[in-house]
Amino acid sequence: MRWIVRRAIIAFLTVFTAMTLSFFVIKAMPGDPIDALAQAFVRQYYMSYEEAYRLALAAAPFVPKGPVWKQYVEYMTKFFRGDLGVSISFSTGKKVAEILADAIPWTVLVVATSLVISFLMGIVIGMVMAYKHGSKLDSSLIVAFSILRSIPEYIVAILLLWILAFQMGLFPTGGRYDYWALELLKKGDVLAFLGNVLWHAALPILTWIITHISGWALAMRGSTIGVLGEDFITYAKVRGLPSRRIVIKYVGKNAILPLFTSFMLSLGFMFGGSIFIEFIFSYQGVGWVLYQSITQRDWYLMLGAFNIIIIAVVLGALLADMLYGFLDPRIRRGGTT
Amino acid sequence: MDPILEVRNLHVVYRSPRGYVRAVDGVSMTVLDGEVLGIVGESGSGKTTLALTILRILPSNAKIVSGSILFRGSDLVSMDENALRDYRWKRISMVPQAALNALNPTMKILDHVLETAQAHGIRDRKYVIERISELLQMLRLEPERVLRSYPHELSGGMKQRVLIALALFLDPELIILDEPTTALDVLTQRFILDLLKDLHRKTGKTMIFITHDIAIIADVADRVGVMYAGKMVEIGDVYTIFRDPKHPYTKALIKSIPSLVGSVEDMKPIPGFPPDLINPPPGCRFHPRCPYAMDVCRSREPPAVELRPGHVVWCWLYAKR
Ligand SMILES: Nc1ncnc2c1ncn2[C@@H]1O[C@H](COP(=O)(O)OP(=O)(O)O)[C@@H](O)[C@H]1O
Ligand SMILES: [Mg+2]
Repeated sequence: MRWIVRRAIIAFLTVFTAMTLSFFVIKAMPGDPIDALAQAFVRQYYMSYEEAYRLALAAAPFVPKGPVWKQYVEYMTKFFRGDLGVSISFSTGKKVAEILADAIPWTVLVVATSLVISFLMGIVIGMVMAYKHGSKLDSSLIVAFSILRSIPEYIVAILLLWILAFQMGLFPTGGRYDYWALELLKKGDVLAFLGNVLWHAALPILTWIITHISGWALAMRGSTIGVLGEDFITYAKVRGLPSRRIVIKYVGKNAILPLFTSFMLSLGFMFGGSIFIEFIFSYQGVGWVLYQSITQRDWYLMLGAFNIIIIAVVLGALLADMLYGFLDPRIRRGGTT
Repeated sequence: MDPILEVRNLHVVYRSPRGYVRAVDGVSMTVLDGEVLGIVGESGSGKTTLALTILRILPSNAKIVSGSILFRGSDLVSMDENALRDYRWKRISMVPQAALNALNPTMKILDHVLETAQAHGIRDRKYVIERISELLQMLRLEPERVLRSYPHELSGGMKQRVLIALALFLDPELIILDEPTTALDVLTQRFILDLLKDLHRKTGKTMIFITHDIAIIADVADRVGVMYAGKMVEIGDVYTIFRDPKHPYTKALIKSIPSLVGSVEDMKPIPGFPPDLINPPPGCRFHPRCPYAMDVCRSREPPAVELRPGHVVWCWLYAKR
């Protein structure tokens, strides 16, 4: 029990430090929200910069003033009371917490689905590769996955968008759902709405799976090959255990263990979503909000999004540590770390 | 005594990036009912490969090239997986090396026992626990504590005794012990050896006892086979072999036992190194290290020479030409 308390304190300190760092890094970024807004006005309305700046100031009255350290103290005290501040320029005056609360479920929907699917597929494919390692199937999959892994997300996203949405029209080109579907939901047709949501989420999910499955499959392949060479596998065969049991309880379980921590960390990172994927599919999740807030230098919105990600990742790591003990009896009495 | 197991001219190779490793190369031997047959040889001489071949659980890159293994008259080499199921563990079991982590780190000992029983059609949990407790007690372990433990919670000696208990669980006719004490400290090694001897005295079970340490053989085995570089070079009863070894390699091995020689100074390590099993030397594989090597040893494989009933040596020195 004591180590849980200790781990929790460490986690809290990690969060605190990371938040502090991101606060000052963001403040140190070139440009400020009013300037960014003014630039946008100049581009849009062909006005002089001075005029645009005055306009921007009037349009976004929430820009923080005073010394940076005072802003920091104020931000942190408010944050831990649950007040994440207001958006400066992206959605002027709207609470950051509200904006994020609206975005998070969509990101989580996409990422959790993709993560689970790519993890499960990766595990199965990785195990098959390991069992057949050295075969033609294995070596071609290694090549395919290595190529796949080096293609950036945005390329895959753009290709899928171009081919499956624009050319073939199989999927929508963007958005979280259609308004007509929302109307149906209001009339009580939940299934139709869910279908529409999934239809919109399909391409982001597909992109995510395509770009992430290689990592899981290759990791699982390596881990499984290691386990297959263990003596307990040979010894299980000598005892005449059925191969189904050996595959699941002996190979599978022991090979997944080293992947578990990365899986939990990915669960934490999932709250950040993907800036590229959400931007390209105009999918209004956390990544999309983050993109908007960065281009507009919307400090508090940016900070809010970053801090949510920080907390989620640290919690994921904490949870991974705690759960790992249940999976691997060798570290169950985890009092040592 | 009748033979329980007869190995005839067995050849086993491993595929490796450099070529075929001829790990077991023409081994023949007989195991008699109720005896303890020791098999001794330097590490890498093919002892484990021989054991794995008898149980037919060689790794996927291994291949039985030729030969037969008759267990009470049935050939294990030509048997299919289905038929083998009645032999593995039920009739032939094995105790692997203790250092080898032979148990699943994520499972308790009891689950290992239960799954083994279940794999052989025993589903009565109460019976399983009773039977294994009896065996563990015989091996001086506390059943309740041990069964509840995970492998990492047990010491090497305890784990090794658990493996012995598991090997005895289905009351097999033959137990193959592959270096059962190698990874243990000297005291534990002594303790386990005494337990095994005691066990043999009580049950009369047939055992193949594999080790690289010839000093142990004198203690536990009735007969001994000496392996060198994938070949059997001499086989006979322990008394004869220790008193009057014939093969130059056996002689050298026995000279290397400190307690037999008297003092450490008199110990003579064998000069040279064991050969590469991918490209073994032609003729007798021991000839590059053999002080008595003749021309014929360099070109032709030595024949089996039966010096006396049961004492066979593969060496040109004793061949009548
Ligand atoms: N899985 C394997 N793949 C390739 N070569 C192997 C494999 N296992 C053993 N060998 C080789 O076969 C030879 C005999 O090994 P082994 O039977 O383990 O000997 P021992 O048990 O006497 O130490 C050694 O040269 C070893 O390197
Ligand atoms: Mg060995």
